[in-house]
Amino acid sequence: MLEVLKIVAYTILICIPAAVLLYLTFKTDDRRYLFIAVAFYVVFPVVVTISFPTSLSPESITLYEAVDALPDSSTVLLTFDYYASTLAETEPMSRAALHHLFKKDCRVLTVTTIPLGGPTISERVTRDLAEEYDKVYGLDFVNLGYKANYVAVLKGMGSSISAIYPADNSGTPLSEIPMMADIKNYDDIDFIYVVADNGIVEYWISIVQSQYQAQVGCGVTAVMAPKIYAYVSSGQMTGLLGGMKGAAEYEKMVGHPGSATQGMGAQSMAHLFIIVSVISGNLMFFIDRKRGRKRKLS
Amino acid sequence: MRTIVPVIIAFLSGMVMILAFFFDPEKSILGELEQNVLSWVTIVGGFTLLLGVVSIFRVNLIAVKRRHDGWGYKLVTLISILAMAIPAIIPSKLSPLFGTGTDSIYDWLFNYLDAPMMATMFAMLAFYISSAAFRAFRARNTEATLLLIAATLVMLWRVPMGEIALAYIHPDLPQAINTYIMGGINMAVQRGIIIGAALGAAAMSLRILLGIERTYLGK
Repeated sequence: MLEVLKIVAYTILICIPAAVLLYLTFKTDDRRYLFIAVAFYVVFPVVVTISFPTSLSPESITLYEAVDALPDSSTVLLTFDYYASTLAETEPMSRAALHHLFKKDCRVLTVTTIPLGGPTISERVTRDLAEEYDKVYGLDFVNLGYKANYVAVLKGMGSSISAIYPADNSGTPLSEIPMMADIKNYDDIDFIYVVADNGIVEYWISIVQSQYQAQVGCGVTAVMAPKIYAYVSSGQMTGLLGGMKGAAEYEKMVGHPGSATQGMGAQSMAHLFIIVSVISGNLMFFIDRKRGRKRKLS
Repeated sequence: MRTIVPVIIAFLSGMVMILAFFFDPEKSILGELEQNVLSWVTIVGGFTLLLGVVSIFRVNLIAVKRRHDGWGYKLVTLISILAMAIPAIIPSKLSPLFGTGTDSIYDWLFNYLDAPMMATMFAMLAFYISSAAFRAFRARNTEATLLLIAATLVMLWRVPMGEIALAYIHPDLPQAINTYIMGGINMAVQRGIIIGAALGAAAMSLRILLGIERTYLGK
């Protein structure tokens, strides 16, 4: 009941300034009023912390349970297939995944198919979390970095990882890294955790899951999530995190609320504002149309 | 000759990949050949990136030299390329500031300049989407009305605040949206698109292998 009262209060808070700004936008045909409203609804929940309980979707529970069911000290390949532009949605997924994997003492192998910043992001995020869990580079985690032409990389790693990545991201030969001694190809990897903001996620399914029967789960941006439902339903993809909400769900399950959980307030307000603007836009459209008809008749 | 040789290379490379799929890579020569082809592809891919950088540098350099329109922006592009590339190329053995490791110049430029700029560009979408939703998302006919209702429900369901509001109307409503809209109508449409695209890709691959499709040669 308290939650509903909170929603009513926030809806009033959204509706009054939104109505004024939308009316001004409609009357003056100046989009800047609308932009002011969007900025307000995104910034306000960040300044004044607004939080609501996040419920869990079946797809994210499936992913969490698949990772949780892995025996301790399993080997997991975690991908950082995203650009810096979508960090707000994807980085919390990687962080939550690493919390889960390091808690379970899994050996983590990171890789990226993104040349612009991919290796930098994976290095920063992985080392940050590894420090928290006292994990040692080369024993508990390894960053393979980036190699050009992802289709060839994904296919080649099925036969030999060291043939595609003779050295890790910092140039150390894989033969000198203890963790890589018994990791030759996908057969030695227990789970592949893809975090992506582009079409690469489908190659992880069509090349790696289909041809090498590897278990693949993923976290993708909200705009990509609808497409992945088809693969989750067919069983080719083991679970799915969709957008910032998916990241917040995983954060909740691993017990480490982070930036995705904080971002839910801003996302809630922004979504509700867009819904209000769509409804009011339509109302104004119909009122205008009715007036036009009346004018024509008279 | 300039056409035939690339077509033969494309045919042989493609056939190696197709045939290798049906044989044990550890027991057949095709497996080794496949691995070699894949290694070559990553090497060639590296060179194409280099070619891209050289090309963008050359084009912008010429524009700056000849003082074309907007040459100032092109100069900024050139300075940016050099600022990112030079410290990254110098081996980190000389100083931790070089290379691409943590605390290097490259790392600093990426984390504090490149990443915020890319995020800013992406965040601008929120403003344009709101503007487009307000101005263009109209219930003009039945199809548009259905789309509008589905979009509104999904937008509400995807955020905690909306989810609670939906659950207040009916406790099973959020789950019903996931099951029937996302896992039902959406999935059926996505499957159709995926299967169609896959058939198109297979047909195009065959055309390239058989040398019918030669647009990649600039023809």
